[in-house]
Amino acid sequence: MSESDTPTLAQAALASVRGASAEARLIAAEEVLEQLLARGFGECLGTGTETDPGQRVTAVLSGLPEIASLASLSGRTMYHDPALLSRTYARILDRKDVPAMLMAEVIRSNSRDYPRPVLVELFEAPPFDLAPAVIEAALKTMAAGEEYRDISFTTTSLGTVYLFSSLHLERSYAAFLAEQDEAFAMNP
Amino acid sequence: MRMICNIASEWIERAAKASGLEAELTRRGFLKLSVCALSGLAFLDLGDAFGEQAPLVILDNAKGIILADPTRCVGCQRCELACTEFNDGRAQPSLARIKISRVLHFGPSGPTGGDGMHGDWGDGLVLQGVCRQCPHPVPCATACPQNAITVEPETGARVVDPAVCVGCRLCQGACPWGMLSFDEQAGVATKCFLCHGHPKCVEACPAGALHYVPWRDLTRDGGAQRSGLSVISPESAKACVDCHVPAGKTSVK
Amino acid sequence: MVATRGGFAGKVLRVDLSTGKIGVQDMVERYEAVLGGAGLGYRVLWDEVPAGTGPFDPANKLVFATGALVGTSVPCNGRATVTTIFPTCWPRPLVGSGHMGGHFAAKLKYAGYDALIVEGKADKPVWIMIRDARVEIRDAGHLWGSGIRRTTLELSQEMGPDCVVAAIGQAGESQAPMGMVINSVSHSAGGVGGVMGAKNLKAVAVQGSGAVRIAGDKAEWEKLIKFHLSILGGNNQHVVPSFPTPQAEYYNPASRWVGQPGRRWGAAKPPVELAGDIYDLNRIAYRTNSAAFFLGEEAWKYTVRGNGCTACPIRCHTMLRVPSVAVKYGIPDMAQNTCIALQFGRMFFKQLIGRKGGEAAIEACMVGMHLADDMGVWSNYGQLQRDLRKLYEGGYLKTKLGSKEYASIPWDKYDNGDPAFLLDLIPRIANRQGELGDVLSRGTGAIFDTWSIPEDEWANDHTTTYWKMGHPKHHANEDDGQCGVIINTQYNRDAQCHSHTNFVRNGLPLAVQKKLATEIWGSPDALDAPGDYTPANIYKAKRARWSLVRKELHDALGVCNWMGPWVASPRWERGYAGDDSLESKFLSLATGRPIDREELDRAGERIFTLHRALTIRDMGQVDMRTKHDLVPPWVFEDSKGAAPFTKGTIRMDQADVARAMDLFYEVMGWDRATGAPGRARYAALGLADVGERLAAMGFTPEDGK
Repeated sequence: MSESDTPTLAQAALASVRGASAEARLIAAEEVLEQLLARGFGECLGTGTETDPGQRVTAVLSGLPEIASLASLSGRTMYHDPALLSRTYARILDRKDVPAMLMAEVIRSNSRDYPRPVLVELFEAPPFDLAPAVIEAALKTMAAGEEYRDISFTTTSLGTVYLFSSLHLERSYAAFLAEQDEAFAMNP
Repeated sequence: MRMICNIASEWIERAAKASGLEAELTRRGFLKLSVCALSGLAFLDLGDAFGEQAPLVILDNAKGIILADPTRCVGCQRCELACTEFNDGRAQPSLARIKISRVLHFGPSGPTGGDGMHGDWGDGLVLQGVCRQCPHPVPCATACPQNAITVEPETGARVVDPAVCVGCRLCQGACPWGMLSFDEQAGVATKCFLCHGHPKCVEACPAGALHYVPWRDLTRDGGAQRSGLSVISPESAKACVDCHVPAGKTSVK
Repeated sequence: MVATRGGFAGKVLRVDLSTGKIGVQDMVERYEAVLGGAGLGYRVLWDEVPAGTGPFDPANKLVFATGALVGTSVPCNGRATVTTIFPTCWPRPLVGSGHMGGHFAAKLKYAGYDALIVEGKADKPVWIMIRDARVEIRDAGHLWGSGIRRTTLELSQEMGPDCVVAAIGQAGESQAPMGMVINSVSHSAGGVGGVMGAKNLKAVAVQGSGAVRIAGDKAEWEKLIKFHLSILGGNNQHVVPSFPTPQAEYYNPASRWVGQPGRRWGAAKPPVELAGDIYDLNRIAYRTNSAAFFLGEEAWKYTVRGNGCTACPIRCHTMLRVPSVAVKYGIPDMAQNTCIALQFGRMFFKQLIGRKGGEAAIEACMVGMHLADDMGVWSNYGQLQRDLRKLYEGGYLKTKLGSKEYASIPWDKYDNGDPAFLLDLIPRIANRQGELGDVLSRGTGAIFDTWSIPEDEWANDHTTTYWKMGHPKHHANEDDGQCGVIINTQYNRDAQCHSHTNFVRNGLPLAVQKKLATEIWGSPDALDAPGDYTPANIYKAKRARWSLVRKELHDALGVCNWMGPWVASPRWERGYAGDDSLESKFLSLATGRPIDREELDRAGERIFTLHRALTIRDMGQVDMRTKHDLVPPWVFEDSKGAAPFTKGTIRMDQADVARAMDLFYEVMGWDRATGAPGRARYAALGLADVGERLAAMGFTPEDGK
């Protein structure tokens, strides 16, 4: 391969990750490898030699400063460009198929980072798009599961339910923040 | 732009091509035209037409045009302001070459009241005034007695040359859509010149209501808002007759 | 001919309705030090309107003032301030301003004027015609009795479709203190309509063909404009969207940036889909939908588009089409507004407040906007609505109103949350009919006076959100602890300051906000987590000063304090920082005269201090601390008994608030005991004449009575 006009392996790997991120998709090393092979990088990756192409790809990806990685629920490492697909959104995507984990992730990060409790109806809206029955089932799962012990709820004086993580928010403070959030809609 | 220097058949062919009328010219029609034109010339004594006073006739179409979507316009006037601030160094909607202020409150029909009114006080639609970069015949250019309206090569936009314009305002009267502005400070007319291919108004619109697209003919939609005061100088009229005298008809006196 | 600066038009128009005299004076020479807007208004009042002048006296003046940046493409400009002796200020009317957006301010600049000062009183109804240099007082007899809508239509027929009309309706005509003036459909200045009515001034209509000159290099100007656009967020400069998106790390469900791709302006024909890059500068207008924010999801299908002030890309007014209201209530099916004015109708009904008001709330809003924005009835930042609810639910009306009048009011509709109730109530207020109509038309103070209800009954009840002097809180301790409290003590009407709340509600995580706070105000302790307040400190006082100074600056330059300052931004690559010097950069380029942030802030402080001086003079009192800078008792209570400085309460501590005021007076350079500036302070701010005058009257701390 000539140096001048063909992209390097690193550039091509970056392009693969960016392509997926632009479509709001996480990408695993295997898929990056597939794309690189399809683009003719087989030789560079040491296909047919002792070098494991998969490990080579992983090494290249780890070396890219523009790329973030995520320890996926699936056990694999997933990659994305945070400039196109934020870390926050990547975590949401990764947990999309397990509503309880998805909700717990959102509740915990909100309780820790802002900090604030989360209106339960948030999960009905995009990008979560969970049906009320699904949310209800997830809430039941979380009530029962040891790993969700920190997930709690508080109800405002108008009857609105907010969820929070007791790891990051005390109950009384979460209750206050929930009331305040509700009141702020009437505090322009 | 083509100046009438001779009436060679080659020239008429090029002229037809430039105005998209190539297909309409049969070989017979083409010859007929040129024969009549020749005889017409003899009668008209157009010797003067080939001197400095020879009229400018714009035949080439523009390359780009600004398209406006009234359903997206949010009535902010940022397009008008970008036009004059970034081009003229002053904020002056009355000078703007895209026209919002005059239709913003009540729409093009003005404060009629009743149903059917547009603008902020009506149904909300803002019918933006945008220069159509007219194909031949270009009303503003044709009306100009000074040949001050020419074509800018990069975009094909019809532009007023302020060094030539004497401020007679005949172009303003000629435009069927009232798109010519008059710069009181400089004493010259001005119009949309497509900002060298990067229209400032398009860039400024916060609602995606304006787009810069390849030129298409928007003059035949019957949407002319006012009858133009179309004044054509005798020299220009004679030049029109060169191309527009049908084969076999009476010669022009 | 005096060379004008860029930015400024250079002229102030004076119209004396008593004599019919119309004159023009130089703006720059006389008023440049106070910039324009409220600054110019305060200066005129100081120089020309004596203490003790009543709001409806012919001697009162109305100063419609724009700013140097108005009429340009600086994002979020287009504002006019209307300064006068403010009628709802209780018990004694003092200086105050209404703030009006729309297209009036820009048009006045294009006509060639930085401000219009209206003096005296016409002997019969008139309107003022302004067309560039041509200004006339014309007969408005045929318009008197008409609403704002018809007035605008008829004056536009007379002047031309591009004119902008600022008009009063029946409320202003009947000299209701709660009357307002409106231009461009939905843009109101509260509290000043009655003053216009008292002058027999029905409307001001403006056409302008001129220019606002940019003195600086136009390429530099373009670059700065584009930079400003690139750091804009959604409404109120909320810098994160309300929804999770791949494009952002942070989101906040309470953010006013609600334009999620996939939403649509459902009542546009055909509907407009919001799609694509949320940071695209050609899509800024899609970020905000005030109707959806305040009224819920249902509002999207009624949204035609956004609307707003000249040159602002935010479009915080939402244009709604709700077909059902035409048949149900006999009103137009279209209305538009933002914020409280959008919610004017539903706020009367306890069943319709809160997020889940649904379709009924939307209908009530349509009825409210139709009536209030045509008859010109102000809400006093929702105090009108809260007052009615308390008066009714508290049983006051049953005892205070005569039984005949009480019976004539359709309370059954009110009890049922039926918006048709407003078809009776609002005209009552506008026309000052009966005792209820009259009392409500005069502001909260009239409730105390007319019915001998002690002010304490409001001041002790947090549900009224009453603050002082006849007006409610406006982003006080519930938003921003001591900083909010300080700000709310400073004015003679509700504070109308958003500098502080725009920042604390911008949606960024607290840690990021604190990092930005360190850069801007010197310490992360300049703000607290909501409801997790810490004691007063100098940084909070500095932030309060900054908030007030910038609000006055915005009101003087004609930019929107509901958006600015722009110290935070959506840009992660900037660490979410905006630019604290944006105002001074724009003014420098516009005028051609470089001015840095500190010098411009000093002008803002000069303006704010002039407001202080006017208040002192007209109260006849130097002790602002105990007589003016008041905090209502409910601020120091908590319904659950939680103590101040515990997590989960907005309850303040009296000693701590006193300390906060100490610190505030210290950063302002004012006397600690009285909260009043001394002669030296006035002089340092270029107000030596003001200081001397007050000193002579014994109203400076060192010469105090």
